[in-house]
Amino acid sequence: MKQVAEGSQAVSEAVRLAKVQVIAAYPITPQTHIVEDLSEHCANGALNARFICVESEHSAMAAIIGAASSGVRTFTASSSHGLAYMHELLHWASGARLPIVMADVNRALGPGWNIWLDQTDSLSQRDTGWVQLYCEDSQDVLDTTLIAYRLAESVNLPVMVVLDAFFLSHTYEPVDIPGQKTVDKFLPPFLPRFQLDTDNPGAFNQFVAPQAYMEMRYNIQTAMEQVPEIFYRITEEFETIFSRRHNLAEAVQCEDAEIIFVAAGTTVSTCRQAVDRLRSQGEKAGLLKLKMFRPFPIDFSRQVLSGKQKVAVVDRNCSFGASGIFAQELRAALYNAESPPQIFGYIAGLGGRDVTPETIEDIYWQTKNSDSPPAENLWIGLDQETVESWHN
Amino acid sequence: MTDYKTAHKKIPLFLPHSSASTALNKTGSWRYVRPFYDEKTSPCAAACPAGEDIGRVEMLVSRKSIQQAWETILEENPFPAVCGRVCFHNCEGACNRGQMDDSVAIHHLERFVGDAAISSSETPKIEALPDNGKKVAIAGSGPAGLGAAYFLARLGFGCEVFEAQPEPGGILRWGIPTYRLPRNVLQKEISRIEKLGVTIHCRTPITAEMLQAFKTQYDAVFIGCGHGRSIDLQIEGGQMAINGLQFLYDIRAQQEMSLNVRPTAAVIGGGNTAIDVARALVRLGIDPLIVYRRRRQDMPAFSPELQMALDEGVKLKTLFTPIAIKGAGKDSAGRQAPYVVTLQKMKASATEIEGRARVVPDGDKTETLQVGHIFSAIGAEPEAPWHHASAGDSACLDLSHCKLSNDGIPIAYGGDLTNRVKSVADAIASGKQAAMALDTYFKSGWDAVNQAVTGCQVGPGPAVSMAIYLGEERKDRSPHRVSYSEINTHYFISASRVIAPVLPPGDRIQSFLPVESTLTTEAALEEARRCFNCGICNACDYCRLYCPEMSVTVEDEHRYINLDYCKGCGLCVAECPRNAMALKEENI
Repeated sequence: MKQVAEGSQAVSEAVRLAKVQVIAAYPITPQTHIVEDLSEHCANGALNARFICVESEHSAMAAIIGAASSGVRTFTASSSHGLAYMHELLHWASGARLPIVMADVNRALGPGWNIWLDQTDSLSQRDTGWVQLYCEDSQDVLDTTLIAYRLAESVNLPVMVVLDAFFLSHTYEPVDIPGQKTVDKFLPPFLPRFQLDTDNPGAFNQFVAPQAYMEMRYNIQTAMEQVPEIFYRITEEFETIFSRRHNLAEAVQCEDAEIIFVAAGTTVSTCRQAVDRLRSQGEKAGLLKLKMFRPFPIDFSRQVLSGKQKVAVVDRNCSFGASGIFAQELRAALYNAESPPQIFGYIAGLGGRDVTPETIEDIYWQTKNSDSPPAENLWIGLDQETVESWHN
Repeated sequence: MTDYKTAHKKIPLFLPHSSASTALNKTGSWRYVRPFYDEKTSPCAAACPAGEDIGRVEMLVSRKSIQQAWETILEENPFPAVCGRVCFHNCEGACNRGQMDDSVAIHHLERFVGDAAISSSETPKIEALPDNGKKVAIAGSGPAGLGAAYFLARLGFGCEVFEAQPEPGGILRWGIPTYRLPRNVLQKEISRIEKLGVTIHCRTPITAEMLQAFKTQYDAVFIGCGHGRSIDLQIEGGQMAINGLQFLYDIRAQQEMSLNVRPTAAVIGGGNTAIDVARALVRLGIDPLIVYRRRRQDMPAFSPELQMALDEGVKLKTLFTPIAIKGAGKDSAGRQAPYVVTLQKMKASATEIEGRARVVPDGDKTETLQVGHIFSAIGAEPEAPWHHASAGDSACLDLSHCKLSNDGIPIAYGGDLTNRVKSVADAIASGKQAAMALDTYFKSGWDAVNQAVTGCQVGPGPAVSMAIYLGEERKDRSPHRVSYSEINTHYFISASRVIAPVLPPGDRIQSFLPVESTLTTEAALEEARRCFNCGICNACDYCRLYCPEMSVTVEDEHRYINLDYCKGCGLCVAECPRNAMALKEENI
């Protein structure tokens, strides 16, 4: 049934429908509505789960790791500094092969203290062994959360569902919230492949010598490499049940495009509008939406972008000393491709600054008017007066 | 499409997993410090003159083990229902909980336990040693004499108590009015002492001649006659003042008195007797004014009692001392004329004596006061010279609460005769200490007494414990007195102190009925749960819950640490809410 719901509610409703058994979370803006909703669901019986109140995100993830090790379906959510505080345990969750699902609301890190959209928090966790899925709208959030459980439990890797601060977390829009029976058909009760068992006592994840450690790591990489295919099969099934299609990436009007935008999150919607406007002006613009960031959709990117002239990546993040992280990843993915395009890496909309269709069009014209990228990272919308004042 | 159950078929899992027991890993080999259960002294117990094991009593009350709580008090004090009413509860001033929110209502809890025991049909299980063939004569049946009899009887002595008055109890019966201590409560607790085989001979005052005879009839004597003679007002007309103690005695003896003809009175003095005289007067319809020579904060009276008196309408005039009393003849119309008291204004000087300001006359400033009655309550002294332990006797042992001399047979002196603090609890303590001293004397001789008694001190002393003397578990506790900073306050949430039901002042002054009521069971249990149980294991089990090696085990309510696995991390010690554990270095 369609309801007008907040993006946060799209997450909490999906978690309720997934019949999660243990939730542990520490509140942080802009994630708070998600866990508030869930604690209410637990309190009023809508969700038969144990909600563990913890004193920090580090403990939240530790509690979830414990719960998942005992073979139950788990959930947590965080953002920004909270996610950063979990960092050590993010490695542990993936190394222990626990199918944990977490929602991360993309928020800037301080200082300067800032609660608005920025992708740096989740992208900083790219090497932790978590699958990362970015969402474009609230329906995408709900669907992705359900898919995340199927995916995590199929590959025994944790999955992070990423949504933009405020643009998604605090924005109301119509969302189709499916019925429990329909969801049950897609997502049966969790069947753990291993679990702590008091009848058969044992310990997981103890000391591992150099003779076996490397194989353990290779095993994780092997599972990660299976993710795109398994994701494809799961989303096919999702489509038959819910009549909605989700792909790890999506090419929009790319066939004849001369300049292709690459974006993730809500910026994708803005790019769609900009592409339509540019097309109506006769410009050959296209768009590659990246939903999956880990594992990085290398094959799909090569299929879409090989042989194209120019790619303009819109990064709402920056890896200082290098460039936008999506741009880096794309450069790496395309380096060994046949006739790779020129990659223009744009950094825009940090810390909640607006990225409007006009911003995207500005990027288009800058890209079109340059024979080659003038720099590895191109900052859009800087206040020139401020920047110049630093040199005076 | 793919089936949920088989989706992972192509995903191999390579995970470290072991089903070997961690018992293989004897982590105890890592240890260089060792935790151990180290029970310590609660500050309340150290502050209690009778050395009651208060931390343990409150633990037992909180578990609703009232009988055990009662027996734990009876180890150290035969008068819980009495002390729960009249004790000045020094314990509460020392209570660590007072630094968090408010001290535990130990006084009310003692009364609750004492009263619960009185209304229960159970007899206490108190350790008493078999008859040792020794007989002790005890002079006086006040808290000191009856205390001595109680503890001596438990140690196997035959005890005979000699009391001048027609009924036993001393100050408890004759000096404390019934609104503080009803007769039946006192009688029940005295009867319990008699049941131990103690004989009380009333209307039998001891004389110096009798004392001589005792030396051949008994093996030892305890003298606890108290201060039987009031100090007279040494001023012009001072003989006209009524003796306050005698007044209280008369009230207890006759129940009611009529003084209504002259509705005002001055009560000279600042001690508990002065307060009780004034409060009794209020109940007889008289309007009393307490006149005290020092400041209010210098009054020896216990301040809750003073507050009660003020609430009931008693007035207080400080820094004045009477210098003359005139009157009271008949006026011209033949009516009784009031007394005229001349009061000298006093002022506090900078010097202090035992914490009280020294006062000196403030020039020649005087005032006069007209009152219908004058009562004197400026203190008391021993009635007969032989009530004093022989001064300068080289064979006299001066212990914290009693004195022991050897005059053919050992003679112990206790109660107000020897105590610096004149309180019921100190009197009981003197009887207990004398009992230990005499028992040690007969077992190990004179020279062993001092060390034996000092060895029974509760924490830093001076209170002594019979449980320690008898070698019970309490003797294993460290004398270290637990401070507030040693309490792990994370385990305690603020909770307000119980308020005992008390009659409004207007109702109180209508009669001599008790002013305060005993706590209900629910209120008492809740209040007892506020106790930190400083230094005493209350089996909260946080040591066991937090031990990362699961090396704490419980057997027969005792906790043990398995040193094969204890790695000495100290978590148990850090988490112990009440400092009942400690760490020591291993001898490496």
